[in-house]
Amino acid sequence: MLSLANPLGLLALLGIPAVLAIHFLQRKARELPVSTLFLLEQTRREAAGGQRFERLIPSIPLWMQLLAVILLTWILAEPRFQKANSVQRVAIVLDSSASMSVFSQDAAAKLETLLPSLNSGASTLELTLLESIPQRPRLYTGTSADDLLASLEDWHPASGPVDPTSALRLARSLVSRDGTVIFLTDTPNPELPFEARQLSIGRKIDNVGFTGVSFAREQGALVWRALVKNHGDQPATRTWQIQTATGSGTPRTIDLKPGAIATLQAAFPTDATNVRIALSPDDFPLDDTLPLVAPAPKPLTLFSATSPAFTALADKLLRALDAAEPTNDAATADLAIATYNPLNPVQPTGNAIIFVEDETRSGAWLKGGLVSEPHPLTDGLNWQSLLARETIQLERLATDTVLLWQDQRPLIFLRQTESARQLYFNFDPTLSNALKQPAFIVLLHRFAESIRSAKIAPVSLNLETGQPIELTTPAGVPLTTTATDPIGNPLPHTDLTHRTAIDTPGFMTVATETESLLTAAVHFGDPREADFSACAPAPLDDTAQTAAIDRHTRPDPYWRLWIFLLLATLLTAWKFSIPKSTPTPQPR
Amino acid sequence: MDRETLQQAHTAALTAAAHLRLPFRSHTWKGQTGEFAGSGTGSSLDFQDHRAYSPGDDPRHINWQAYARTGSYSMKLFREEVRPVIDLIIDTSESMFFLPAKAIRTAELVYFITESCAAAGASLTTHATRGNAALLLDPDTLRNHTWLDTARHLPAPDPAAAPDLSKVPVRANAIRVFISDLLFPGNPEPILRHLGQRHGTIILLAPFLHSEARPDWSGNFEFIDAERRSRHPHRIDPATLRRYLAAYTAHFTHWKNISRRHHSAFARIPAEQDLSTALHKEAVPTRALEPC
Repeated sequence: MLSLANPLGLLALLGIPAVLAIHFLQRKARELPVSTLFLLEQTRREAAGGQRFERLIPSIPLWMQLLAVILLTWILAEPRFQKANSVQRVAIVLDSSASMSVFSQDAAAKLETLLPSLNSGASTLELTLLESIPQRPRLYTGTSADDLLASLEDWHPASGPVDPTSALRLARSLVSRDGTVIFLTDTPNPELPFEARQLSIGRKIDNVGFTGVSFAREQGALVWRALVKNHGDQPATRTWQIQTATGSGTPRTIDLKPGAIATLQAAFPTDATNVRIALSPDDFPLDDTLPLVAPAPKPLTLFSATSPAFTALADKLLRALDAAEPTNDAATADLAIATYNPLNPVQPTGNAIIFVEDETRSGAWLKGGLVSEPHPLTDGLNWQSLLARETIQLERLATDTVLLWQDQRPLIFLRQTESARQLYFNFDPTLSNALKQPAFIVLLHRFAESIRSAKIAPVSLNLETGQPIELTTPAGVPLTTTATDPIGNPLPHTDLTHRTAIDTPGFMTVATETESLLTAAVHFGDPREADFSACAPAPLDDTAQTAAIDRHTRPDPYWRLWIFLLLATLLTAWKFSIPKSTPTPQPR
Repeated sequence: MDRETLQQAHTAALTAAAHLRLPFRSHTWKGQTGEFAGSGTGSSLDFQDHRAYSPGDDPRHINWQAYARTGSYSMKLFREEVRPVIDLIIDTSESMFFLPAKAIRTAELVYFITESCAAAGASLTTHATRGNAALLLDPDTLRNHTWLDTARHLPAPDPAAAPDLSKVPVRANAIRVFISDLLFPGNPEPILRHLGQRHGTIILLAPFLHSEARPDWSGNFEFIDAERRSRHPHRIDPATLRRYLAAYTAHFTHWKNISRRHHSAFARIPAEQDLSTALHKEAVPTRALEPC
């Protein structure tokens, strides 16, 4: 197979029409009256072709000049011949960010035109198509460009911004050092690692979309508030309306200046399903719809078994926690708050927060450095301003996890059993400044939320696409996951293996045979992907193409012969172009 | 050609006719009384023969000296002096006039023949042909230089066709002078056979240009046919030019061979030289003309 190292050399073929034009213009340039035309006609050759080209046949200078143009084109194009069994490996990494969903058709068209030129003269082209998220399976591996293009049907970019470094590293390892790695994106990246070549197909789009939602209760009614942003650099006008399974609200118009953010709010419709807020569509549809469910966290029941000194603390905690309810049944309570009294050392058996209560109130201030152990409950908390007095101590087991030390004394430790989780405060908070410590409050909240999270109970959430789901499910019980688009049409291939929300806006549920565990509305809320201001096209850098062609091909071994022939044809054309003097014919 | 040019051609012809003429002496004439010896007996001073007297003979020609010696009547016979007869046929196709030099040479030849005949007292009839059309020219048109306009307005259905001399009446025992560049396709045999009938003597005077005989064409040309004014694109390379020169040479060689077979005098008169020089070099050697 033949390839050209310098395809621009083919422009020399323009010399052919130039030579022909010169010859034809020459023909038209000279008009001459003659009386011997019948003699001239006798000299004409019989030709089946047109009259105009017939006269080109006997013209040796013309043919020599045309041959010279062809030889010159051949030399300038630097033809190279394919080596046997040469293989060019190409790995194409597709940017999986959601903004690429706008350009997926452009990507297919671009690859269709690009793939034939990627073999770099090799006899075999091995293609690998993968996404910039390394965890995703490869879209295609093989040698067929058509199959690769067909595999793009399975590519649905919907994630947030993705660092392509890992995928590019994987791609480079697949194609080795001599292969080609192409990163197909919509936003030019000035520097790509692992010698990856960039191909950007993006362009600026004036996009308006939802960036987030929150809920609040006002006068007993649930109110949603949605943020709408104009990501473009031009003023935009959109309409929005509430849509449910039973109908739509009145469309309303909203005007947004470039970069402006507006808040939409309304009461959440009661007894409605498939509630969504819809903006008038634009080129990026992912953020034009905001599915909603009324948020409902798991209820948390609190049992308080404290002395009167801790009643205020228990009440404050009960008020601070969402969906927390008091209960008098210690057996069914999700979380118990208790104090330790050496005279009555009975401890709760379930999830509990246990404080030391020292009625003597005569202990000295504890001395020594405060050291926090790395643990999710204490991550990022500052305990250095904590002042605690010497009190009686709780009995600590060897399996307990100390969260906070002061010198050799464990101040806070965690006891984890198969059925319960208990947080022990080995000092009397009422004899310390712990109640004024943010770290103390945050620790209590974290612990209570961990209990709530571990509880198996129905929950309603508003999630973002691809958001991780922390869902506690009963062990050994099969789960059924369903997902629909905002209108209610089922989405195929719903998989909760990765415990993340669906990739496109819609609704999803997770349930056992007996009860629903999760009801969620999923919306796209990544403003980075909704902003197309940095998108721009960038052609594929083909500097490495030359090296690949050199590697897979060999140059024309007869190039010296072609140069010699070129000179010979030019000299021949020149020789036949010189007018020669002819003798005067005389009749015999 | 304007009248002044024709007058200049006439002047050149007069100069040439002062020392050249048609081959009147080398021809045996019959016909009306004139200045040249005829084939029969006549009343000239040139003694030819004796014969016995027959009743009815002119008694003025009785040889009385012989009667005195022999006693029988005998007659003195003298050579006849007759007037030469010339049929001039002019090819007035466009190729004869499409370049000034050739047009002037053609006019000079016409005037030369006219003056030569006038000097010899010959009987001259002039015909013009144009393609396959023919016209008898009034002698006055030659004298007042309007013959060319008359001839060139002769309507011809096919101006590029070979001259149709069958429409030209020829007289017996005449010298038929055909002035033509002979640049037309076809067989010369019918033309020469017609010119040679009734004991005619054929003289072919063919004016030509060196640009026709030795063109320096090279490259692409838009040739304009002198006869039809039609355009013909041609690319002339050296090989084509060689073939053209060969065809040109073969054409006139063929005319020369056929002329020789018909005992015709054939002279190609170049247009670039002056008339006297050209006639001396080309026409006298072929006996188309003779010195006075």
